[in-house]
Amino acid sequence: MVTEMLALTVLLYFLLFIFDIKPLYKKKLWADFWVNVTLTGISFTVAVLLCLKVKIPSPELPICELITSIFGK
Amino acid sequence: MRKEQIIDKEAICLLISFIIGSTLIVGVSGSSKNDAWLSSITGFVMAVPVLLIYSRILTLYPQKDLFDILTLVIGKIAGKFVTVVYTLYAFHLGSLVLRNFGEFMNSFAMPETPMIIPLVAMGMVCIIAARLGVEVLGRTTTYFLPGIFLILLIVQLLALPQLHINYLKPVLGNGITPVLKDGYSAFAFPFAETVVFMGVFDALKTPKSPKKVYFLGVVIAAAIITITTVRNIAVLGNMLGSFYFPSYEAVSRISIGNVIERIEITVSFVFVFGVFVKTSVCMMVAGKGIEKLLNLKSYRSIIIQIGVLMILFAQIIYDNIMQMRLWAFKVYPYYAFPMQVILPVIIWIIAEIKNRKIRKMYSNADQKAEDQQ
Repeated sequence: MVTEMLALTVLLYFLLFIFDIKPLYKKKLWADFWVNVTLTGISFTVAVLLCLKVKIPSPELPICELITSIFGK
Repeated sequence: MRKEQIIDKEAICLLISFIIGSTLIVGVSGSSKNDAWLSSITGFVMAVPVLLIYSRILTLYPQKDLFDILTLVIGKIAGKFVTVVYTLYAFHLGSLVLRNFGEFMNSFAMPETPMIIPLVAMGMVCIIAARLGVEVLGRTTTYFLPGIFLILLIVQLLALPQLHINYLKPVLGNGITPVLKDGYSAFAFPFAETVVFMGVFDALKTPKSPKKVYFLGVVIAAAIITITTVRNIAVLGNMLGSFYFPSYEAVSRISIGNVIERIEITVSFVFVFGVFVKTSVCMMVAGKGIEKLLNLKSYRSIIIQIGVLMILFAQIIYDNIMQMRLWAFKVYPYYAFPMQVILPVIIWIIAEIKNRKIRKMYSNADQKAEDQQ
């Protein structure tokens, strides 16, 4: 199951690379290209981690703790 | 490239769908029990001053969006910092709304399907809408909203036999404090969330109309939310707070002659449409924020990645539905306060001072020119 999910993710990101990132490279929109590549890198990493069933810490818990410590429950 | 423009009617429809979107199904906070309808009115009353501030800021800088205004008002560096804050807020809000939808699908509509599937399906539609722009989204909403109103009206009428108006009594039986607390929660979610619209209302065709748009949109949405809450209380009574999705439960009890039953799908339809509009707007604003922050050519070139990140973030943000409710009603109002109230007030005050100075300068220059003549 994990392998199939990983394969699907890689395939989807490959398609994204062809249809979303490559045109920016061809048009020489460098700022857009690099931002897109960075965001793709982050999202690809998170997607792969999710496929491998790694528990990614949510930012919601620390915010929740901070607010309840200030205002009470 | 031609600048996108929306007329007031489209903007009002967008605002209504944005506000009623997730609130109609998640409901207002349930701690005020049978006074929940009063808390939605209280929330609206609390929201009026901030709405005035949002519309005033937009009127002072016509044809400019939130991020342009930030740079103009508080300078380049501070402006960039606040842009980051608003971009993250829009991104987070979009993820929260997507997650609401995912939880709804997971607990009622498709319990055996993994949550990522509805999230991806909805996320893809939102990415397409955000990529097409606010003009297309505005027109789509204008076409769909009458249908949504019709559905809401028919469901209200069909619910009439199930209503127990005595459930609404005693009014203010638990005192005013729970109503005010829930009112504040209703203020933050959904009324003051309209701060996100400052990022797209640069597209308004008439530069002087933000006040009218904000007010009409929010008044209509508040009326719909209040009427729906009254119906939910009159059907469910004091149990309102014990359901995750009260509207869905209330409508599922409709049964007319054992023929018209199971019409809760109508609630899902309204919810899906609301989530679509809300997430698309948030996505667009997050994209515009990054565009202005990093001087990109267009937010469209990165919108797919923002959407994908939003979907993934929605997947990891909560562990379960109880956490979602705790966050939405207890934590979110405090978390969102700086973005919804403090920053807009600061921006408004500085903008007013700057505007006055500029006006004074111009009037002095005119005076000098007249004296010379």
